[in-house]
Amino acid sequence: MRDTLSASIVFAALVTLAPAATAQTSPIPRMPDGKPNLQGIWQVLTPAAWDIQDHSPRLGVPAGQGVVEGNEIPYQPWALKRKQENFANRATADPDTKGYLPGVPRIMYMPFPFQIFQTPTHVAMTFEYTQGVRIVYTNGTPHPRGPIEWWLGDSRGKWDGDTLVVDVVHFTDQTWLDRAGNFHSEALHLVERYTMTGPDHINYEVTVEDPKVFTRPWKMSLMLYRRKEPNVRLLDYVPALLMDEEQAERERRKTN
Amino acid sequence: MIRAAAALGLGVVLAGAASAQTPERPPVIAGCPTENLAWHTCALQKAKAFTPPRTPSGRPDLQGYWRSRLTQSFSVEGVPANHRFAKDPVQPWEVAPPEIIDGDRKIPYQPWAARIGREGVNFREYVDPRTTCSTGGVPRLALQDPSQILQPPTDDHVLWLHEDHHQVRVIAMDNRPLPGKDVKTWNGVSRGRWEGHTLVIETANFNGFVWIDDSGNFYTDTARATERLTMVDRDTIHYQATIEDPTVYTRPWTVAWALIRDTTPGGYALFEESCREGDRNLPAIREQGFKLYYGIPWRFR
Repeated sequence: MRDTLSASIVFAALVTLAPAATAQTSPIPRMPDGKPNLQGIWQVLTPAAWDIQDHSPRLGVPAGQGVVEGNEIPYQPWALKRKQENFANRATADPDTKGYLPGVPRIMYMPFPFQIFQTPTHVAMTFEYTQGVRIVYTNGTPHPRGPIEWWLGDSRGKWDGDTLVVDVVHFTDQTWLDRAGNFHSEALHLVERYTMTGPDHINYEVTVEDPKVFTRPWKMSLMLYRRKEPNVRLLDYVPALLMDEEQAERERRKTN
Repeated sequence: MIRAAAALGLGVVLAGAASAQTPERPPVIAGCPTENLAWHTCALQKAKAFTPPRTPSGRPDLQGYWRSRLTQSFSVEGVPANHRFAKDPVQPWEVAPPEIIDGDRKIPYQPWAARIGREGVNFREYVDPRTTCSTGGVPRLALQDPSQILQPPTDDHVLWLHEDHHQVRVIAMDNRPLPGKDVKTWNGVSRGRWEGHTLVIETANFNGFVWIDDSGNFYTDTARATERLTMVDRDTIHYQATIEDPTVYTRPWTVAWALIRDTTPGGYALFEESCREGDRNLPAIREQGFKLYYGIPWRFR
């Protein structure tokens, strides 16, 4: 009885103290040079890959509160119309359905893990989804001269205190921001901010600028969670190759 | 003939990779003769006398951009001067010694498997899986150039980035066991360790959907690879890979070649090599009747 009681008290104390402890800035892991250590395997928990704005559930799509600041995306009038067409045709029009690299920032919030590696001169991100890779140069070098159209853009980073700030340009107009048809042009310019709010959380903020599509820059904000399973490793999920594998299987059955 | 037509379609994609590899074999690399077996023996001897540069944490520093030498992508068994494709008008195969350095310098196939690899069933009937924008896999990625090695100062991983189809090797420098056998991946799951100055990478969990070379040489999902990277001098790595697979071979076998540092003036950087996103070749090759591979000849033999 006594044991049970004291156990309850301890439990109650933990419950009471836990929020207080995490509300303070928990220590974050650091690299030998003192910079925040962002390394590890990370994944989002929001359904932003389906729709970055507030939305009700659809079959196969979890309901979600949006990740767009203020929820409104400041499309130019023609672009809003295009977004609505994209939404109507999304089942086949979304470039992601063809197994292409999903672009940035979409690759950051696909519901698959990705891994960050860090050296003093590079931050590399490798993605389970499509085996995408982003190399962020933190060696002070500028973007190469364009025009260049890369699916995942060109990323140059610098540290603003404990926040990694990454400037990304040189995109194609071939990727969407989500399955709901939100889109951009090749003039897309992103500024991403990676801030660890604790050992297992990165607050990810991205400012989206594209004068061809939007009337002003706008912002998304979401949380990256560390995958903590002791055996977790990055595997691969390459939609184009999985589609081919199914095709190969259909052809084999037909000929046998 | 079908193969020649397919090669024409492939030209656009592969010409860059193939011609960029080894236009001419220099007489020496790192002071060693450039026949693969002779180079292997000599380079490992030289490496014993070389103290590699160190990372701040004291590990051999392999970081930088690397290109392969003593390689061609046609066959790890080499291409003799009288090979039927050595004088192919569309895409001649480069005459070269075997990259294999042990035994009779052939892949020690079990008899049934020799008929699938070595310009056999695979070569005659299937699209080279690398052409479908998948991966070269192990060890073929190490001869598609260029690549970049990164060593985070936390010493817990080595990252080997390949420009070829934006492929990545994540090498966990820990003792965690590899995943169970039903976890299968294109490039395998790797863990590494340092043995003296040598980075040793053990890899398993392959899906067996890749080829080793253009000839359709292959392994299956029971394969394991052990790669060893040893610096011979500041700008040269001795690379070797031992492949074992009890399903198809009678014993393990080993390839070796050189990785040399890219010293492009003004620096070098990997470009994004998106593949499927702009591919125009695969449908043309498929129209010639070549099938998608996915390990089908050995899985359903």
